[in-house]
Amino acid sequence: MRTLLAKTAVRRLLITLGVMAVIELMTGPPGNNAQPLYGFTHSFDEPASFFGLFPAERWAIFFVFGLVFWGITSFWITQGPTVKKRVQDALAVPRAKTQKRPVRIGVLAGLLVVAIILPHVETAPFWQAAMVEQIEVYVLLAIGLNVVVGFAGLLDLGYVAFYAIGAYTTAWVTGALPTPPIFDHALNPFFAIPVAIALVMVAGIVLGAPTLRLRGDYLAIVTLGFGEIITIFANNLYGITGGSLGTKQIPHPSIHLGPIKYVWGITPVPYYYLTLSFVVLFIIVFSLLERSRIGRAWTAIREDEVAAESVGINPLKYKVMAFAIGAASAGFAGVVTASQLFYIFPSSFTLQFSINVLVLVILGGMGSIAGVVLGAILIQTLTAFLLHSPPAGYQPSDLYIYLGALLVTMMIFRPAGLIPSRRRKREITLSEDLHEGHLDEVLTGDDT
Amino acid sequence: MSDLIFDVDHVTLRFGGVISLNDVSLHQDRGEILAVIGPNGAGKTSLFNSLTGVYQPQEGTITFVGRNGKPMSIIGKKAFRMANAGVARTFQASRMFSAMTTFENVKIGAESHRGIGVVGAMLRGPATRRDEKRSDTRTNELLRFVGLNERANAISASLSYGDRRRLEIARGLATDPQVLLLDEPAAGTNPSEKLELVKLIRRVRDEMGVTILLIEHDMKLVMALAERIYVLNFGSVIAEGSPEEVRANPVVIEAYLGSSTEEVEHK
Repeated sequence: MRTLLAKTAVRRLLITLGVMAVIELMTGPPGNNAQPLYGFTHSFDEPASFFGLFPAERWAIFFVFGLVFWGITSFWITQGPTVKKRVQDALAVPRAKTQKRPVRIGVLAGLLVVAIILPHVETAPFWQAAMVEQIEVYVLLAIGLNVVVGFAGLLDLGYVAFYAIGAYTTAWVTGALPTPPIFDHALNPFFAIPVAIALVMVAGIVLGAPTLRLRGDYLAIVTLGFGEIITIFANNLYGITGGSLGTKQIPHPSIHLGPIKYVWGITPVPYYYLTLSFVVLFIIVFSLLERSRIGRAWTAIREDEVAAESVGINPLKYKVMAFAIGAASAGFAGVVTASQLFYIFPSSFTLQFSINVLVLVILGGMGSIAGVVLGAILIQTLTAFLLHSPPAGYQPSDLYIYLGALLVTMMIFRPAGLIPSRRRKREITLSEDLHEGHLDEVLTGDDT
Repeated sequence: MSDLIFDVDHVTLRFGGVISLNDVSLHQDRGEILAVIGPNGAGKTSLFNSLTGVYQPQEGTITFVGRNGKPMSIIGKKAFRMANAGVARTFQASRMFSAMTTFENVKIGAESHRGIGVVGAMLRGPATRRDEKRSDTRTNELLRFVGLNERANAISASLSYGDRRRLEIARGLATDPQVLLLDEPAAGTNPSEKLELVKLIRRVRDEMGVTILLIEHDMKLVMALAERIYVLNFGSVIAEGSPEEVRANPVVIEAYLGSSTEEVEHK
């Protein structure tokens, strides 16, 4: 028995199963006064399924899950380095190819075509709506927050504020708020797009100019406060925002330009295309920015602010710029949400929301546009899937257990995200290897 | 004497009760290689930071004569403004953008003071592209000048100490400065690197016409390079003159080697 326990693989198995048992109990049914132990006993015999796929008793699912997890980790620990090397060698050829411009443009064009025909392939109303509300809106938010967090390295925990300002601006311009719209004339939500984007950028400057002098944690706290202030304003300024009851009905956007007449109706597909065009636009603009002197100035400030200043970069100016530009896509996302959902409520704009978007950015890969887009699509598809066909016993708040587990796993195995940005990855390996003291090894191997 | 670039007039810098610079007055002519020496804690780096806008002295004035020949007061100006006005610097412990390549490091210097704005960068029009090309050319020129052209694509954290100094000098020169401030450029370099550095600094002045102000511990380097020297001790200027004069000055020898009376006085 003792010799068996001494084997690390066996110990790891027992620990894994133990952790699984704890998770199983934690996610089990709650107890009650009459049967205080109900939660404990029924954690084991309650029927469940793994995302609706394998109906079985809860304990069996968790047991199998633990075994699989143990198998994967054991394999990874013993065989990981060789597998990693083989995968890297295999990827080296296509990676060299994707560096070439025509190939890259071809791949991107292919992805765009897929995005264009997607709503004709997946015609279920739930998924069509989810593509707009759950995925595209979050992609917009993620690429915007990526400018702030990934490019400029500023931790913004109040990003939801810009989204809220965008949504409320739409309501204001279209006359859905108790406050009269501009010139007392209710407009089509289309006109809300430039107004909302302009307003959130101004909000970015107004918030950024005084607060971006702060660094690190202090900035995070101030932005957190800003997010809360906007929600509380929306909730309490009854005469202006409609308070907690939300807004009046927001009309759909429409075009009346000579012979062209089009009304965005109840169906989500037209919204899908409208939003898609803006997603593409924002992606192009943001990636051009990243590759420009402005993107390099952001990186310089992120890496060493004092040195950046010594070559003539005004840190405050560039940080405020990042805030305002990053806010723009959130403002547009607000317009889409407001005009598609008819009504908006202050309760949709919480801290939780800011953190969700931040998780997408971190999982996807801070500083990498491709990464955060992929992160947003994957996570939000998973979220929508859980909403669409929840496994037995699934509570909406359980989502955070899965996301949390995913985040922890990612931080261990891929700290720079799904598709890491090259610079960020280098920064992470640099700081890790400075600690471990084999800097040269890493540096000579990397791209030259 | 007529063509001044720096004029430091009765400057006092305090941190709470600690006096870091005490009534310091000094000046530098355009095109001169000037060195400021002194024992540890004499206030050399404080002086540097006052000249580059990092610290704001409480008393006195500092005047810098920039590109247009108009004198400007430095006190109260931010560091990035001084960089744009033509004061470039290197740091005591080299501060590079470590995760970037050598080329990118210098390019940031080359483009930081030029005016393609956000809109230009977003649209990436012909003007932006021309600007990028100009920065690239300038960067390559400077990398060749300092002898780092073969390491252009290396990650800057992988460079040796000597190469880091060169990189910092190239980055400083990329901002098109009037004067280059070098904070202990020889720190951490080996003798042959030191020799190269002396040559390089001379070439910066002779070929690029950039005035040099350096702080240094390494006496050999100072004596080989400087045309005039100021000696700081306990925040005050205690001597000034040519290398020969300074070397022979008994006050300087005392400050460096210390004597029993000196120590007693200051305790």
